[in-house]
Amino acid sequence: MDASADTIRAQMVQLLPRLRRFAIALTGSPADGDDLVQDTVERALRSLHQWEPGTRLDNWLFRIAKNRFIDGRRSHRRSSSVIMEAPEEAAAAYTDGIRATEAHLALKDVVHSLQNLPIEQREALALVVIEGMSYRDASDILGIPIGTLTSRIARAREALADLMPED
Amino acid sequence: METEITSETLTAFLDGELPPKEMERIAALLAARPDLDAWVRRQEKLRSNLKRAFSGVVDEPPPQKLLAAVRDTPVSKRWLLRHWLAPWMPRGWAPLGAALAAGLAIGIVLRPSSEFISTDGQVLAGGKLADALSHKLASNGYDGAGTRIGISFRDHAGHDCRTFDQAGHTGLACHQENGWVIAILDSRPESTGGAYRMASSEMSDSVRQAVMARIEGVPFDAAAEKAARDRGWK
Repeated sequence: MDASADTIRAQMVQLLPRLRRFAIALTGSPADGDDLVQDTVERALRSLHQWEPGTRLDNWLFRIAKNRFIDGRRSHRRSSSVIMEAPEEAAAAYTDGIRATEAHLALKDVVHSLQNLPIEQREALALVVIEGMSYRDASDILGIPIGTLTSRIARAREALADLMPED
Repeated sequence: METEITSETLTAFLDGELPPKEMERIAALLAARPDLDAWVRRQEKLRSNLKRAFSGVVDEPPPQKLLAAVRDTPVSKRWLLRHWLAPWMPRGWAPLGAALAAGLAIGIVLRPSSEFISTDGQVLAGGKLADALSHKLASNGYDGAGTRIGISFRDHAGHDCRTFDQAGHTGLACHQENGWVIAILDSRPESTGGAYRMASSEMSDSVRQAVMARIEGVPFDAAAEKAARDRGWK
């Protein structure tokens, strides 16, 4: 047994809820989000030597999730004639699988709105506004300058204000 | 007079990312600009809506398939190897570099010794060194006398290899039909300060690099080391 590997696994379990939230925001559905998280943790453990001890494990995992999502979309576009799941269907798939409480209905609307944002705005918004990350951490994860990140969040916010109903 | 303000600045304000004085300036500006103030309030509401919408996701236990993925996916062998070798690595040691090729040569000029036997272009371990390589278990701890065994592992060719530390030399030997072939031998790293020596085994960079280049999988644990010895080494 390796105590350090166990420690890292335990930290990953702690991070699963946040990774799921990020992945669902990116993919547009809980099922796809969980597939992305599974892909992310498997990838992370199998390439754990690429993680630098002493650096942020959470940022590294979020970066892998983001990259796997982008890679997955690229290969999907290249190899498949299947049309990407429409936002409405994605959100419906979510509410089918769980209790349709008020919170979940709100999630359906939110997921729907997020899917209308360009990916680069969606990932920036998800990290900063939903995950509450600092600009420094988010720009590090996305590999973009802070100025670019700020612009993307600003664009995303303007678009969301139009997309989401006032209540 | 109205001051123009960009949506980037308002966004950074919303996220608390402006310097303190700038945060104060924008807050004062909002008090005088109902249009901007309304935009900021709307955005704050959007943020709380987003967070609330996802609250169920973060509050519920993760699905079993994700817990299983974290629990059951093997960690990379290279990480395990680095972890195993960590006690022997000085701070800031960089992985395999250009020194690797040079490091695979015998690092010192051998003096005639019963511990090292030169034959047919190979150097074999002899005497007490060969005896220690064949019989000592690192997992038993260092007995304080003679050869100290470091790590044992299987190499890419299927041979069992062991690092050792003896009489000012540190090296790597791999077991073959004719005995323990010395893969690399180096002078033992000098401890800084001279008077102080670490209690643990020390490996020179070239020995570490030779291990990294040859190892298949991870070093033997105590049980594997004992099993390899008891069956006479491969």
